[in-house]
Amino acid sequence: MVRLPREISPGAAARRALLADLLIALALALAAIALAAGIGIVGFAALLVLLALGAWTGVEAAIRRLRRPPRSPTSRGAG
Amino acid sequence: MGPTRRARQAGRLPPWRRARRVLLLACCICLVPAGVSWVNALSAPRNVGLGVTSVEWLRQNGGNSLVSEIENEYYTLTAPSKGGAPLRSLPQVGIAAAGGSGQGAVEAGYRPPNVVPLIHPALPGEGVWKKAAANAGPRPPVLLTSFRSDPEYPQFVAGVAWIDSSRTTLAYVPGLAEPPPPLTHRGPAEVPQGMRRRVVATFNGGFPLETSNAGLIYRGKVVEAMVNGIATVVEYRDGRVDIVKWESGAGAPANVWFAKQNLPPIIDEGRLNPNLSDGPAWGETVNNAVRVWRSGIGVDAHGNLLYAAANYQTVESLAKVLRRAGAVRALELDINEDWTSFISYRHPGAGSPSNLLPEMYRPPERYLTPDERDFFAVYLRPGERW
Repeated sequence: MVRLPREISPGAAARRALLADLLIALALALAAIALAAGIGIVGFAALLVLLALGAWTGVEAAIRRLRRPPRSPTSRGAG
Repeated sequence: MGPTRRARQAGRLPPWRRARRVLLLACCICLVPAGVSWVNALSAPRNVGLGVTSVEWLRQNGGNSLVSEIENEYYTLTAPSKGGAPLRSLPQVGIAAAGGSGQGAVEAGYRPPNVVPLIHPALPGEGVWKKAAANAGPRPPVLLTSFRSDPEYPQFVAGVAWIDSSRTTLAYVPGLAEPPPPLTHRGPAEVPQGMRRRVVATFNGGFPLETSNAGLIYRGKVVEAMVNGIATVVEYRDGRVDIVKWESGAGAPANVWFAKQNLPPIIDEGRLNPNLSDGPAWGETVNNAVRVWRSGIGVDAHGNLLYAAANYQTVESLAKVLRRAGAVRALELDINEDWTSFISYRHPGAGSPSNLLPEMYRPPERYLTPDERDFFAVYLRPGERW
């Protein structure tokens, strides 16, 4: 008997990946809190990294938007 | 390619982007307990601004070395340059000349000799002791003076206070957060209402226990184990006050009422500590050679207290100020503009409080409201008239 592969939608696959990432992040955060000298230094470092990653993501999004070819007038409302 | 695989690939992010997402999530998770702790610190009673409270919170929660490093860099970058235009006058210190050359008449009790100015020609009133209080009588309990503290930096002015130990007692007052809990008999963290009639001066305490690596005895009980070799402000049960290099072990001797330790002595038996350079013995704070607001306390040869404070001081220059004012034993107290305060009260009932130096940034009412840090209060002895 051959078992057919289950249908997984792209959305479900993305959610699974997000859940896996969340679990890894939780483990990382707990390790950082346990190993650091105090919660203050953890929060300070997290804030700095968050700001850096936020800036990185923002710059990346801006570049992507600039590189995207402009939509042609005919394609507008075609769908 | 099957539909499942196609779907998996469609939802897959490049590895570096997933790593970034993991890091982002981990940071968000870390910020939750840190944020709760920070908000708790901000919501506690306090009389300093948001910035100072946040820095103190960071210090107390594992960030002390980081804060000290940042402070070192900041103060090094903003260090003053040598020289500059000479001063034409000194800031107003005290309210009236104490009278005479300072070598008071025998019946009036001991008076300290005026401080010999370091820079010549001397400015009007430089080094001359003045009464801290109006109507203080022939034996003022507190005298104040100021003088230029360093010939290489002729614009720096040190403020010095002399406290007559024969007329006053010294009290150690715990703050709201320092020493940290648990502490029995913490008190109101301000000059108690019942003692305001007799208060003549208040001044800042030493480093927080966490950063001084030193001990504390309060009301005869050990709060933090005492450390031999550390400079200590001691009040004995008979009311005598002294500054000693502690050699009595970790416990509380029976005759000690309070003992507050802070770093090694900066002056011992009239000599500057030969090791005023940096090292672990000097606490987890800015380097000793960094020029910053510093304060210290000493005793003269007659057992009277001397307090000194000034901006842009190194540990060595502070020690020299205290020695020039007559200190034979001395220790460094708190540093930084946020914590350095000497306040004299010009009228009974804690009336007309006044900072020793006009540049002192904390308000003169600082210790008449609950304060974060511990401090010292100087009271007239019972029976002594204002």
